[in-house]
Amino acid sequence: MKYLDASSDKIAVGLAFGPIVPEFIAESPGLLDYVEVPFEQLLHTPEVGSIQDSLPIILHCASMSVAGFVPPDEATLKLVDREAKRTKTPWIGEHLAFITADPLDTTASPTALTYTVCPQLSEETVEQVACNLSRLRPQFEVPVILENSPQYFDVPGSTMRMTEFIGTVVERCDVGLLLDLTHFLISMINTEQDEAKEIDRLPLERLVEIHISGLNVQSGIAWDDHATPATEAVFDLLQRVLRRARPRAVTLEYNWSPSFPRSTLKKHVERVREMVGNS
Amino acid sequence: MSASQVHAVIAAGLKEPGLLARWKQEPEMLRQCGVDPDAIDLEALLKFAGLTTKVRHNGLRGDLPLTFRLLNIAGLEIEVFRAYAIFHAGKSFGPTVQERIDDLSHFLKQWLDFDKREHALLWDLIRHEVALARLRKLDVIADAGSMVQHRVRASSVPRVRGEIILHEMQSDPRVVETLLSQKTPKLEQAPVGDFYFCYWRPNAEDLYVLELDALGFYLLSAIDGKRSAAELSSQLGGARKLRSGLLNSLAELVGVGVIAFD
Repeated sequence: MKYLDASSDKIAVGLAFGPIVPEFIAESPGLLDYVEVPFEQLLHTPEVGSIQDSLPIILHCASMSVAGFVPPDEATLKLVDREAKRTKTPWIGEHLAFITADPLDTTASPTALTYTVCPQLSEETVEQVACNLSRLRPQFEVPVILENSPQYFDVPGSTMRMTEFIGTVVERCDVGLLLDLTHFLISMINTEQDEAKEIDRLPLERLVEIHISGLNVQSGIAWDDHATPATEAVFDLLQRVLRRARPRAVTLEYNWSPSFPRSTLKKHVERVREMVGNS
Repeated sequence: MSASQVHAVIAAGLKEPGLLARWKQEPEMLRQCGVDPDAIDLEALLKFAGLTTKVRHNGLRGDLPLTFRLLNIAGLEIEVFRAYAIFHAGKSFGPTVQERIDDLSHFLKQWLDFDKREHALLWDLIRHEVALARLRKLDVIADAGSMVQHRVRASSVPRVRGEIILHEMQSDPRVVETLLSQKTPKLEQAPVGDFYFCYWRPNAEDLYVLELDALGFYLLSAIDGKRSAAELSSQLGGARKLRSGLLNSLAELVGVGVIAFD
């Protein structure tokens, strides 16, 4: 089993686990420092964990509904903790989002989704995140860091812009940031804000990890797309962030398609390694 | 609007896209849920439901890489999966890749507008990939039957060798595949017209895509290993007496090896 060296001062570069990752590791030895694996995948297909024979794992999670009002059950948290201990992940990345919500019919069970959703950007949500984190954090031996959501539409009742919301949560909760640059760019496009100006307002001193992936604009909205490569605009943001901050890891999320071009994948991993001074 | 109420409405709508469609018709229903209908973009939520539906079909990309590439290049992903989310509302997606492909194909057949060029290309391409994937997964034992070209008589009974899938199309998916391999595909370069294809798996090793003419296609469609050449001729609108066109077609199919006479 391989583990990420938490004391290393180099910026690690890895891939989100997907259908092409095992083959890519075999084809390109030494190019990756880790694989980011969703907790949910380890739960449902435990054999995925064998990837750790080749590379360390960073644990990602979408089950804790950190920005939601329906808490995850204790059993789920225990399983997350079990995987965190087993993989010796240096941190647990979780979405600053909700995946479960109260039912419309109060007699029914909570509504559980399969995809995380951007929450209402408000003081009320910030307080809820703080409350949720105060319950979650003692359950784990490693830090939980929060990933910004992509904003596809104005969430009713929101009183903050995305940048302000992220900044307020990070400060109020004293929590590390997993900055998904593609999510950030999507939010900026969809809310007609200047991404370069806004990214400078983020609390990058809290930055722990970066995600990059593709995006595309369809039906009038910019969408996350892990089946296509990151655009130049995403790399521009990465360059801008790296001028101000030194994250511990950069993860390329190219994990939706088994036919993702291998040559592009290799080129992008090498490009990121060069950008972080780790080539 | 409290955050928990807003989250509840969004989650309910994403879980059950039929609700989003109903709220679009009757926005005042949202007030009962604590949300101002003017403050929520239901169409954007429907498109988001389309994104989540698309992501739930990532498992199909292994069998349908070109279909997903075309959806992306043509900018149809969100539009198609938004409509599919509503079409499929209230039902759960099939547990296997094959069931999900079947369900998606069933939806597309009903939803696509075949007068729109990109819709027609999509329908052809998904059927092309499904046919190839389906035949690849079959255990086909090579047909030991003779391929010697006998003189075809009216009483001769042709049969198909191996497994075939037949599709009548408006485009040639092999041409579309070549276009899609380019960095910036120009889909308008794909010729449209009448195309007839036979996907043929003669044995465990080989898989062919045969382009046929109309007569060969309908002839092959009618061959069932029971009807004689004379009966096929009659069924295809000709006389029981075999005409040269039909004889030539049968001879060509025998020559390729896709049919044989015992």
